[in-house]
Amino acid sequence: MSVDEFVRLVSDESGMSLEADDLTTDLDALAGWDSVYLLKLLSALEAAGGNGLPVLKLLESRTLGEIHELVAG
Amino acid sequence: MTALEILRRLLRDQELTARYDEVAALLRDADQDTLRRCGTVLARLDADEISEHHPALPVLTVAVTGSTTLGPLAAPLHAELARHGFVPGVRFGGYRQYQIELRDPTNPVFEAAPDLTLCLLDADEVFTGLATPWTVADVQRSLDELAVNLTGLADAYARDHAGLLVFNTIPLVRRWAAQVVDHRSKALLGATWREFNARLLRLATERTGVVVLDSEPLLAETGPLADVRLAGYTGVRLGEQYLAGYAREIGHLARAIRGRTSKCLVLDLDGTVWGGTLAEDGQDGLHVSDGPHGEAHHAFQLAARQLGSQGPLLAVCSKNDQVPVHRALTELTELGVTEADLVAVIANWQPKSDNLTQLAKQLNIGVDSLVFVDDSASERGMVRAALPEVPTIAVDADEPAWHVHRLLADGWFTTLEVTDEDRVRGERYRTERQRLEFREHTDSLFDYLAGLGTTVSLHRVADADIGRVAQLTQRTNQFNLTTVRLDAAAVRRLVDGEDTDVLVVRCADRFGGHGTVGAMFTRWVGSTLVVDNVVLSCRVLARGVESACLREVLVAARRAGADAVVGAFRSTAKNHMVADFYADHGFTARAPQEPDGAVHFEHTLDIEPEPVPHVGVDADISWQVREEVAVR
Repeated sequence: MSVDEFVRLVSDESGMSLEADDLTTDLDALAGWDSVYLLKLLSALEAAGGNGLPVLKLLESRTLGEIHELVAG
Repeated sequence: MTALEILRRLLRDQELTARYDEVAALLRDADQDTLRRCGTVLARLDADEISEHHPALPVLTVAVTGSTTLGPLAAPLHAELARHGFVPGVRFGGYRQYQIELRDPTNPVFEAAPDLTLCLLDADEVFTGLATPWTVADVQRSLDELAVNLTGLADAYARDHAGLLVFNTIPLVRRWAAQVVDHRSKALLGATWREFNARLLRLATERTGVVVLDSEPLLAETGPLADVRLAGYTGVRLGEQYLAGYAREIGHLARAIRGRTSKCLVLDLDGTVWGGTLAEDGQDGLHVSDGPHGEAHHAFQLAARQLGSQGPLLAVCSKNDQVPVHRALTELTELGVTEADLVAVIANWQPKSDNLTQLAKQLNIGVDSLVFVDDSASERGMVRAALPEVPTIAVDADEPAWHVHRLLADGWFTTLEVTDEDRVRGERYRTERQRLEFREHTDSLFDYLAGLGTTVSLHRVADADIGRVAQLTQRTNQFNLTTVRLDAAAVRRLVDGEDTDVLVVRCADRFGGHGTVGAMFTRWVGSTLVVDNVVLSCRVLARGVESACLREVLVAARRAGADAVVGAFRSTAKNHMVADFYADHGFTARAPQEPDGAVHFEHTLDIEPEPVPHVGVDADISWQVREEVAVR
């Protein structure tokens, strides 16, 4: 999954308007971020073909970029 | 552009709050994924700001509490409430805090006096309190304690709050059940568990302020209760799919408590009620009840009839010639729904939106009380475009096995309680069809009214009427002077009150009885009688029933020595037809408006009002102004 596709998916699930730059921002510092979005993101990523993602690692990720790396493998 | 793209663009341009009134139509037919995503966007809005922009939109306040992680309910709940045109004022409690929150009326979760309090329960509430190793007997004790606990919570809640409390039955999950190895114990665990859920469900049958959603049929549709990993790491033990189904039920519960339950199911014929096309295949070539194709349609016919037996009216709206439709509906004896079940059969070539508008007018209900089912995307599309307030149900003529499922996917006809009145409503409207025909043959309104022979009875409410009176306050929109919705417990309080009375209106005419059609709520303040509200079913309007009832109250108050009768009116989007009700009956408006938006009208009882022509009255509502008041 490309960076653009990933950013679009996160935007769809969170309702936030995100840019590629936001991937390196700590989630706590990302304005408007809610931890519930991680749960939505997981379902959406798996529905988009990423079955069996490492959920614990995903939940422990500090940035969206780290999550993208998990997805991209 | 998809609904989600539109919402996100509006959010980005900071216009979503200002254009919130367009959201309901966008979401009406959205699929689960879209709803979930749109709900995430909508949950970011501020309810107070929406209300500032749209003061006419109804606010629905919800407190969410429970034994599991509650956050995932936000998106589907906001989406479903928005879909029904509500402004969602939702507050979430803490993780596993429901025992404390429900006992504390000052808890911030209740700050907005919730219309609905949702208490989400899951199986960990039972098991995590047990020491390992545990036995089925331990589970049984834990369930017993929880049942007693929840009953106590429901009672404590009812003392402190006016809104409904909603529990869900707790699904027994394999994660716990499969830790028992022998089949005898498995059976005992299963039986004990169901006994607990049955006890919980009984709370809702025994108490008026409690609703219990049955998780079992919901889960059979939605699939897995939770994602194992999210349950394990984040406490989300009621997952996305379950909560989507749950939120949908809550949306319809919200409609029900706000008097917006749909009232009439309008069915297309070709491809919907039966398979095939009447004009092409002929009456004998239709799939009505035989073979896989016919059986699927027959199941749909029976489901529609089943709904119709509990209050919703059934009607047909078909693009066909009238004569063959009439013939088919009467001659196809195997049809599950026949002409006798229908309050109207519309078969013509006019646009269906025009037909629906006319049907609503004929039935004296709002067009937004109709639900329309059709297999043709273009017919549905045209109805949606012309009448966006009418929910449309899409069925697929090529896969009729889905018909029943689609019909029931939304609970448009959800109500808190079905009364005897509901069961005979269709019959009454079918009699009304005779009245309408009769009216066409009468030269003047005077002759019509004289010929109807209307009789009205006005009495203090009896125990058996309380459910129906509560329902009238909930369902009636047009003839509802102050639109105060009451549940049965609230009506009971007024009946038991020292100064308050609830009067019930019954009505009949030469075509038969209309049953309990209205109620008046009165209250003595010193030697003044205040009429807090009057509600009247729309099917007895425009024949003097309301005038006759008001006259009886005025006469009784005057004879009791009252110095005035004061009537309250509070304007809503739908009750403008009664704005002049008091002014038309000799009352004068008192300024200023009350803080709750009500206007008070006063009748000084100088003369006894004349009887209303053409209406026979049987009333028994004498009052006595108490002596200490009369002396003062």
